Amino acid sequence: MAKELTIEDLRFMADRAGLTLSDDDLQRLLPGVNRSRQQVAALRAIIAPADEPAGVFIASDGDRK
Amino acid sequence: MSTVVKSNELCYLTIAEASAGLRRKDYSPVDLTEACLKRIAALDGKLHSFITITAERARTRARQAEQEFASRKERGPLHGIPIALKDLYMTKGIRTTCHSAVLENWVPDYDATAVLKLEEAGTILLGKLGMHEFAFGGPSVDAPFPAVRNPWNPAHIPGGSSSGSGAALAAGFCYGALGSDTGGSIRTPSAHCGIVGIKPTYGRVSRYGVVPLSWSLDHAGPMARSVEDCALLLQAIAGYDAKDGASANVEVPDFQAELRGGVKGLRVGVPRAGWFDENLGVDATTETIFNQALEVLKNLGALIVELDGKPFSTARKANQTILVCEAYAYHEKTYQETPMKFGSTVRRRILEGAFLSAADYLTAQRARSVLNEQIRANFHRVDVFVVPTAPRPPETFEGMDPNEQNLRPSFTNPFNLTGLPAISVPCGFTPDNLPVGLQIAARPFEESTALRVAYSYEQATPWHERRPEL
Repeated sequence: MAKELTIEDLRFMADRAGLTLSDDDLQRLLPGVNRSRQQVAALRAIIAPADEPAGVFIASDGDRK
Repeated sequence: MSTVVKSNELCYLTIAEASAGLRRKDYSPVDLTEACLKRIAALDGKLHSFITITAERARTRARQAEQEFASRKERGPLHGIPIALKDLYMTKGIRTTCHSAVLENWVPDYDATAVLKLEEAGTILLGKLGMHEFAFGGPSVDAPFPAVRNPWNPAHIPGGSSSGSGAALAAGFCYGALGSDTGGSIRTPSAHCGIVGIKPTYGRVSRYGVVPLSWSLDHAGPMARSVEDCALLLQAIAGYDAKDGASANVEVPDFQAELRGGVKGLRVGVPRAGWFDENLGVDATTETIFNQALEVLKNLGALIVELDGKPFSTARKANQTILVCEAYAYHEKTYQETPMKFGSTVRRRILEGAFLSAADYLTAQRARSVLNEQIRANFHRVDVFVVPTAPRPPETFEGMDPNEQNLRPSFTNPFNLTGLPAISVPCGFTPDNLPVGLQIAARPFEESTALRVAYSYEQATPWHERRPEL
């Protein structure tokens, strides 16, 4: 389980991200952000140390366009 | 025009039928175009499926097509067929809004690759279609354009985000349309509007010139009133495009030629356990209709195999995490400069991505690799996955709960995460006359298999023949 964020946590994170959000905005966002964090916690539980991300950088891609 | 064909009948022809009629000279591209424009003018006030109607351009193109037919310069089955585009496909010289105040008057100076391909195939563009703002969130109540309504009952949502594409096809305003799909945005409106839509394999259709929502999950694809029409449209837009970094250099088969192969002996996987009962679970009517559809497939000779649904259920968590992170990354600059130009729904959803970390995003991408492997491992036992397209019929605008999508299973998300091709085909109606969709997903680049199963089901059932009363 990820730690549940509070409005204060969210305000601090918004400042750090350069976002100006009202208390109403933060209140509306809070359930979704906490749900997203719980989702990530559940995903952490299914990966093993050797699992690499799906995204792959292909060095030759710069020649495609 | 032949006296046996009335205007409304013209509007509800399939592309295959309309194309055959054009070749028989039962009617001309001008007749088809005028019939659609007339119907849009008369009825779209109730549905708001179009944002921009390109009537004069369409008439000019229709006359050109008519001349080409007269001089025997026929281009193929889409020649002279009126179509429309979700308003996130860039169109040179035609406003492309993404249903948002942010791009309300934006006129791109080039065409998306898929748009160019449809143009080369001889289609006639009728206009640009409404959608969920930036293909995200839900119906927009505070966007500069009204929310699209469901032709089966305008009090209900049409599903999204390709809502205008679904509604316009069900209403008989066009013969084919393009949508885009990041978490179900082609398949859900197809199910809710009683039409057919296919999300091809990731990389099969170029997204160059399609305004992104989430680069690693976005797919472009066709929507139509029949499986065969989806095959014809997919044929025209599929293929490698060096301008799309995710485009796959894979041979494109003849999708139409493989439609009639049947499903005898085909192994149909149903990942029910651990997925259908997630949270509130599948709506009872939807599951009953789905089980009846499985019986139809069984009677056609398919073998039904029950599978573990747990990895499919977990896939939604990875899909949503990746989606909000990539969406925020794409919109961050514009959002910081003009936050109030975004509608309230999309603003809330996009901002979720601002509060996740780089490590969270990479965790989701690592989980994607794991889930992809687990889900694809099932192809040793089955040839396709079959599930309902949506967990419940379309709700009313009034009763819409923004958290609803998280309370029931998402049957569409896993196929964005894995990039597998997936099609939705009508499979029944609720007692309130609202459509329900059946989703069929196949191995990577086996759109032909998904189309073949959908075609067999469609031809064995009457659902695709029903029309809404407008």
